[in-house]
Amino acid sequence: MWKRTFAGRVLTFHLAGINNQNFLMRDDESGSYWQQISGRAISGPLSGSQLGPVRSDELTFSLWRSEWPAGKVLKPVAKFARDYEDKDWEVQMLKARTVLAFPKSGIKARELMWGIAAFGASRAFAINRILKEKLIEDRVGTEPVLIVVGPDNKSIRAFRSRLKPGEAAPDFYRDAALARTAEQDALASAIMTDSATGSRWNFRGCAVSGKLAGHCLEDVPGLKDYWFDWRNYHPDTSVSGM
Amino acid sequence: MAFLTLISLACFAFPIYVIRPFRHQGMAELAAALFVKRIAPWVSAMCAVLCIAIAVQLRSRVRRWPLRVAMLVSLLLAVLGSVMTHVDVYERMFHPLDAPAFEAAQQAKVDGDDMVIAVNLSGEARAYPIREMAYHHIVNDVVSGQPIVSTY
Repeated sequence: MWKRTFAGRVLTFHLAGINNQNFLMRDDESGSYWQQISGRAISGPLSGSQLGPVRSDELTFSLWRSEWPAGKVLKPVAKFARDYEDKDWEVQMLKARTVLAFPKSGIKARELMWGIAAFGASRAFAINRILKEKLIEDRVGTEPVLIVVGPDNKSIRAFRSRLKPGEAAPDFYRDAALARTAEQDALASAIMTDSATGSRWNFRGCAVSGKLAGHCLEDVPGLKDYWFDWRNYHPDTSVSGM
Repeated sequence: MAFLTLISLACFAFPIYVIRPFRHQGMAELAAALFVKRIAPWVSAMCAVLCIAIAVQLRSRVRRWPLRVAMLVSLLLAVLGSVMTHVDVYERMFHPLDAPAFEAAQQAKVDGDDMVIAVNLSGEARAYPIREMAYHHIVNDVVSGQPIVSTY
């Protein structure tokens, strides 16, 4: 997701091609071509320019609705709705061929990864492993991070796990079994505990009880991506667990 | 004239050939294809106009019907190539969302376990269902006064 304002102009984008299974977009205002994945213009008058990123999450609808009950949802367009993806589209996509592969990595091309590019480094985490372990503590570069699964057992977020700059990061423990809560109480529901203070934290990375109640961890943006694509755009990436 | 027709057709065919799904592109050929895409409308229009001019000049001198047919076909193809450089074939395959509309979270008929791309700007929250985004690919939107583009 990108900001559309660049150098004082609001750009309007159109689908303009497929580039190694990401897409290219063209803006009406300058006729430049931009990579979807990087937000960078690669051809045209604005070649070399970079769109500003917009922080976004990939969540289940129910979890998002519990966090933002007054939010707005994109409506389907009736005449195209029959062309929208089936419910099992991600399973179907696993069978599609790729234009790139990195067999020496030992990772299948369409292995789904959670990719983080931050703190001067890039690191990928296998989503199957994240969903199984529910909480992974690791580092990106030299920075301790935690990747945690939400109460819906499907949404993923990552946070810097240091409570204060310069201090060692505590351990975090996700609850093995989460109490069922009504959707409207989701924000108040804790899913993990820190070892330093015993405070209880929700899926937004905010402490809801304990000594640090009200304190929020800094979130770390991530991208759910196929391995071949992540590796193509982050050739120096490391992989957690390997 | 045949040469001009080939140029006109290549103007739209070459980029489509290079930038197509399930084909790997190196950076050099991608740059070349995008350069051709940018100059294509002008170059192909010039070719088509020149073809028309040549056809007009030669129409009284070329009598044999096979040659007249060949000239006509060449002219039509040159014009076709020029017209096609103005057609975004990707937006024919995946129709754009020109005027995205939104509904309240409590009214939306989206399955609870379907994934959405979620954004929150200055407290204004929007969700873009992925099953819909995977078709339209791009939504130009304004959230809390900030123009953004959601992509998938």
